[in-house]
Amino acid sequence: MSDIKQIKNLKDFSTSVERFQGGHRLCPGCSHSIIVREMLNATDDNICVSTATGCLEVCTAIYPYTSWDLSWIHIGFENAAAAISGTEAMYKALQKKGRPHSDKPTKFVAFGGDGGTYDIGFQSLSGAVERGHDFIYVCLDNEGYMNTGGQRSSSTPIGGATTTSPAGKVSYGEKRLKKDMVQIMAAHGCEFVAQVAPSKWKDLVKKTQRAYQASGPVYINAVSPCPTEWKFAPEKSMEICDLAVDSCVFPLYQIEDGHKVTVTYKPKVKKTVEEYCAAQGRFKHLFRPEFSHVIEDWQKRVDATWEYLLKREEAGI
Amino acid sequence: MANTKANQTRVVWDGNMAAAQALRQAQVDVVAAYPITPSTPIVQNYSQFVADGNANDGEFVMVESEHSAMSACVGASAGGGRVATATSSQGYALMVEVLYQASGMRLPIIMNVVNRALASPLNIHGDHSDMYLGRDAGWINLCAYSPQEVYDLNFIAFKTGEDLNVRLPVAINQDGFLTSHTAEVVEHFSDEDAFGFIGSYVGKNPMLDGENPVTYGAQTEGEWHFEHKMRQNHALVNSLDTIRANFKKYAEFSGREYHPVETYLTDDAEEIIVCMGSVFGTTQITVDQLRASGRKVGLVGIRVWRPFPKEDLAAAIKNAKSIAALDRSCPMGTTGALYNEVAAVLVENGMSKNLLNYIYGLGGRDTTTEHLSGIFSDLKACSDAGKRTKPVVQTINLRGKMLSFY
Amino acid sequence: MTEEHLLKGWEEFEAGAILYSFDGSSHHINNSIQHSVADWRAEKPVFNEEHCIHCQFCWVYCPDTSIISKDKQFDHIDYVHCKGCGICVDVCPTNPKSLVMFTEQTTNDEAIRNWPAKDTKKDA
Repeated sequence: MSDIKQIKNLKDFSTSVERFQGGHRLCPGCSHSIIVREMLNATDDNICVSTATGCLEVCTAIYPYTSWDLSWIHIGFENAAAAISGTEAMYKALQKKGRPHSDKPTKFVAFGGDGGTYDIGFQSLSGAVERGHDFIYVCLDNEGYMNTGGQRSSSTPIGGATTTSPAGKVSYGEKRLKKDMVQIMAAHGCEFVAQVAPSKWKDLVKKTQRAYQASGPVYINAVSPCPTEWKFAPEKSMEICDLAVDSCVFPLYQIEDGHKVTVTYKPKVKKTVEEYCAAQGRFKHLFRPEFSHVIEDWQKRVDATWEYLLKREEAGI
Repeated sequence: MANTKANQTRVVWDGNMAAAQALRQAQVDVVAAYPITPSTPIVQNYSQFVADGNANDGEFVMVESEHSAMSACVGASAGGGRVATATSSQGYALMVEVLYQASGMRLPIIMNVVNRALASPLNIHGDHSDMYLGRDAGWINLCAYSPQEVYDLNFIAFKTGEDLNVRLPVAINQDGFLTSHTAEVVEHFSDEDAFGFIGSYVGKNPMLDGENPVTYGAQTEGEWHFEHKMRQNHALVNSLDTIRANFKKYAEFSGREYHPVETYLTDDAEEIIVCMGSVFGTTQITVDQLRASGRKVGLVGIRVWRPFPKEDLAAAIKNAKSIAALDRSCPMGTTGALYNEVAAVLVENGMSKNLLNYIYGLGGRDTTTEHLSGIFSDLKACSDAGKRTKPVVQTINLRGKMLSFY
Repeated sequence: MTEEHLLKGWEEFEAGAILYSFDGSSHHINNSIQHSVADWRAEKPVFNEEHCIHCQFCWVYCPDTSIISKDKQFDHIDYVHCKGCGICVDVCPTNPKSLVMFTEQTTNDEAIRNWPAKDTKKDA
């Protein structure tokens, strides 16, 4: 077990040796790289990263350049978890055999977008977690296939306009509810599952460090506002992130040992779903009178989920 | 065999047990696999080795699909160590995407492929549809015709794939059930000798070396992709030299000698069958029978399917008048893949011979000495007429009206 | 387009399309830190030391690792990798801000001379 990196405040944190370099081709204002930097900077141990096909992958390893100052692998869209499970197995085997490649402890992290996590990589993730590999799976959740022009995924929220669930004369956009991956992964019995937002860096770093200390699989769902496809100005990424959290559309909480819920951030003043939607072009059509019920229904669901989480936390079971 | 360096013990193993034992003796660091008929016993046997503490502290990862099996193998191999797996048929098909990744990243993963038909319609028995499906995937493909050969070729596979001049994944093919489930006498080495032949493997560019981080799987667009693929092909084509050298070393070590193209009584043969897999043995018997009656017939077996040993094949068939290429996979819209290879070798060497193609054994359909004798009769008719007198593609042991193409 | 010196022939680069991060203790020529994305930018953030409280918000929220801090202090902006997204300006808590977007053509000296005044409404 490695030592936990001491990060008392942002000044401490800013002394981190960066392992994710600039010069990548992610869009200006993309939240992905903010999440990645915060997570990688939360430890000084070696890290091996696998990344599912997606924005993060295609923009950070465009030959002849890599942005990764750590070992990194991309195989396919659907297998980031399987890939890192193999690397982790090799690490364990070489440790047992007494011929490791490095004396330093090594952490294993898989990054996938919601396409690579909720959809095409779901089986691979479920399998790797069930097998108990010691790794962190991080979903950079921007609620759609943004790398290929903003198509819907099973993470797209109801009412969201994407290029395959567009709003139109008779349609309010996406018709299905967003899949609840945090609960699904908790049901796998993970020692630790959490939802994070990059704008709440301290909460994110604390959860990531908890994840690094776990001895088995951890799932982290990170909200990743996408200026390009959520349709807001690039400088607003962290503001949108705060809105997602303060409206409780993306509640910050964690589940330990498959059941123990802790809500790690409670907004002093809860923002509304309407405020969250108003800040993004992808929900613009919901402000047409005929579609106003979508936001109303969404608000009811958000309130119910928030109440449920608070009750779960209070019950402590 | 005289002058063998290593002591060997005779046992009775089927092809699956031979493969599993070879993996155990190779001290594989990570085996990631998913069971599928008829390769399941490889995975089961290896599971038992692990359960009995006989897997040399290697990790055994029982994944949830073949896609994840090969993905975990790629992740493990890139990590920096020895990796192996096994599969068949539909599982192989599910892996195909990742087979290309393994070879493109130049990772020497060793895979035992127990050849089986591809659905639809579903069939669990042996044919070469899976091997053919992956033939452009950039893997070295070796073909074993018996459990002994499965055992032997596994060591040649490790020694070749992991050679730093090669660095390519290797598949060892064997016929489903006919080889995988048929117990025969196998001579095996002691664990120490077996491991000694291949030695331990330290991966090139290991991800687990935190001091020297590497990026695997970068995107290479227009300016780069062509160069990388041709470099890979250069390595694959030239791996034949290493394979040849390792066949030689293995012959000294074991007393059993392999060749990129195996020949049987070809020197003066006027009619030759070219084939792969367990039908080689049946054809050998047929050749013996026909030779007894004075016929000049011979047999060629492809041992190394990729890289294709063009020169060896040309030398093996140069004296023949008529040749039959046997394909155990439905060519779907053209001639069989082995036929195409033989035809290319004839053209490349300015050789004018009668060439026929037979599709046989799909879904495990029997092919007997009678069928093979019939092929030699067809070839003889061509030789006598001095031209091809039969359709290009014919079928063996197919019910219904006689079916042929071209 | 790739820089000319990196366009090697098929036989010259590392097999398997492997990329290295480091060449000894310095970044490898294939590290993206060697690659400029400055031409993505229409506007650039300019830093004004006078107002900065070194809170490091700009450092932690920079998606392009382009706010360079040293010894827990803001040090400089890496204009080779900054894409001009403006997050650093947005998250800057001082009044007036210590980072402000200016057009690419504006020199940093001009920018500082034209720095916006304290927003009195904001404090009220």
